[in-house]
Amino acid sequence: MPDFGTVASAILSGLLLGGMMGLIALGLSIVLGVMRLVNLAHGVFLVMGAYAGLYFLKLTGFDPLLALPLLALGIAALALPLYRYLLAPLAQRGPEAQLMTMFAVAIILQNLFVFVFSADTRSIERSYATLPLSLGAITVPLIYVIGFAIAVALILAIHGLIAHTGFGRDLRASAADPAAAATLGVNVQRVQMLTFALGTACAGVGGVLIGVAFQFSPSSGGAYLLNSLAIVVLGGLGNVPGTLAGGMILGLLQSLGGLTLGDGYRDIVGMALFLLVLVFRPEGFLAARRA
Amino acid sequence: MRLHRLSGDMGILAGAFVLLWFAPSFASDYALQISFRVMIYLTLAESWNLLTGSVGLVSLGTASFVGLGSYVAFGLANHFGAPIPVILVVCALAGAVLAALVSPALFRLRGVYFTVGTLALAALLQLLMVNLPTFGGASGIFLKHDPPPLASLYHDALSVALVASLAMAICARTRISVIIRAVRDDEDAAAQMGVRPYRVKLAAFALASALIAMAGAVQAINLGAIEPYGAFGLQWTIDALSMVIIGGIGWRLGPLAGVLFVVMLGEMLANYPEAHIAITGVILIVLIRFAPGGIVGMFARLFTRSTRLSSP
Repeated sequence: MPDFGTVASAILSGLLLGGMMGLIALGLSIVLGVMRLVNLAHGVFLVMGAYAGLYFLKLTGFDPLLALPLLALGIAALALPLYRYLLAPLAQRGPEAQLMTMFAVAIILQNLFVFVFSADTRSIERSYATLPLSLGAITVPLIYVIGFAIAVALILAIHGLIAHTGFGRDLRASAADPAAAATLGVNVQRVQMLTFALGTACAGVGGVLIGVAFQFSPSSGGAYLLNSLAIVVLGGLGNVPGTLAGGMILGLLQSLGGLTLGDGYRDIVGMALFLLVLVFRPEGFLAARRA
Repeated sequence: MRLHRLSGDMGILAGAFVLLWFAPSFASDYALQISFRVMIYLTLAESWNLLTGSVGLVSLGTASFVGLGSYVAFGLANHFGAPIPVILVVCALAGAVLAALVSPALFRLRGVYFTVGTLALAALLQLLMVNLPTFGGASGIFLKHDPPPLASLYHDALSVALVASLAMAICARTRISVIIRAVRDDEDAAAQMGVRPYRVKLAAFALASALIAMAGAVQAINLGAIEPYGAFGLQWTIDALSMVIIGGIGWRLGPLAGVLFVVMLGEMLANYPEAHIAITGVILIVLIRFAPGGIVGMFARLFTRSTRLSSP
């Protein structure tokens, strides 16, 4: 039986990591809500963010966490042509065509990463990433606290954007009923494009955080995509605070799963939870129709 | 009329089966290996076409059932010394049972949630196999006995492909096709007409899963060793999806055309696996955008256009 300190540290680590996962899942959630698209390239966009952070550090020597706004803008800018030239032309063809197109984008990018960066496992090495932060018997990595703070700040900012701005009003209208929104003068295509860029930026920023906190490789994206889906189901689509809560719940459960069953079971917890929630509590999705 | 067309299909399939049965007596080992892969892929593609093209369920879970078939086959062969026909029947049952077990979760909501659910299922099974030492963990399992000679395995793969093709012929040429199309085009309207969409979807999912599990079993025995990353690998899913989209989704001959194209492309790019997948991705994007009917759809359009031009 592990002692109190180990358990408490694992729980706190899980919650903090879950906050970062919440930001990543929020990106998936808004794209799903506004475009009805499960962006299967979301995990690969995350890996792209991690590589962007890594090469930003290598080329400029500046800390990628300080340059997060710049990196986020850069990755969001990459999303615009993807929307304009790949997704927008398929808008009238039902959700499957866009879904499969993003699946194809995901496998292209993943293999491009292997080709350009090799399949090796990498990480963004920062001295503070390995520092422990102790409070009594509880010890968590400092980077978890930093990552959590950044993630929560961004989630709150996105919440404010959606709830209190003109763009947010257009976004909510487009999510609820695109046709009616268009009739009322909302430029739905522009809203979708910006939402897609915002969602991609969430994945990219999450990727930089993950890249500093953990190791990553071209094939890391799949697990983050599926965990994000679990969080979206758990928190309810279109529910921004719910997504943060869902992320923290998943992080907690993953930590407990890893602690009791072994580290290999961390990701299993996410996928099992996803399928279980689908069986027992699919309201997470249904709430979306009303949001 | 329909039954007449069904017997026509059956005749063609029987003829092709008999001809291909004798391939080992004149084909080289390399040609036989390729033909083996064509048969396995054809089974995967036919199953995916049934689910996605006919019923409208986009599955990203092909790997789940390939992996399931692989592991069940190795378990039966290693622990019970079961002969291949028995293995195939049990694998088919296992595939159908797994499909039925997960269907409450996957069919709970419509559309894309089935898709992401199947993706999660494959990842879940892969991680379970990696972590459970009973199933060999990450390093996998070896076949205890020598696998049967290639010619015999080729006959098994050919038989599985025949079963798959016969099943598709029945689905396409009987009243079943009308029911399936009704569910795909409008579930609510179909329900109003007395069709039970849940049952139709479940039956199609179970049938496709059974066929995929059989294909997984034969190809695993041919390999002689399995591990979770290969058996449950996303590559199976990519292959099934790309073959059908390239060949022509929803078309009867789509899977065959797609399989031949993908196997040829794979042979040409055998030394560049990353380039192979990336190029497949590009082809998918272009076809989805500009030729949703794939190769067969393009030919059909050319053909109808030329007949229309030549008519007075």
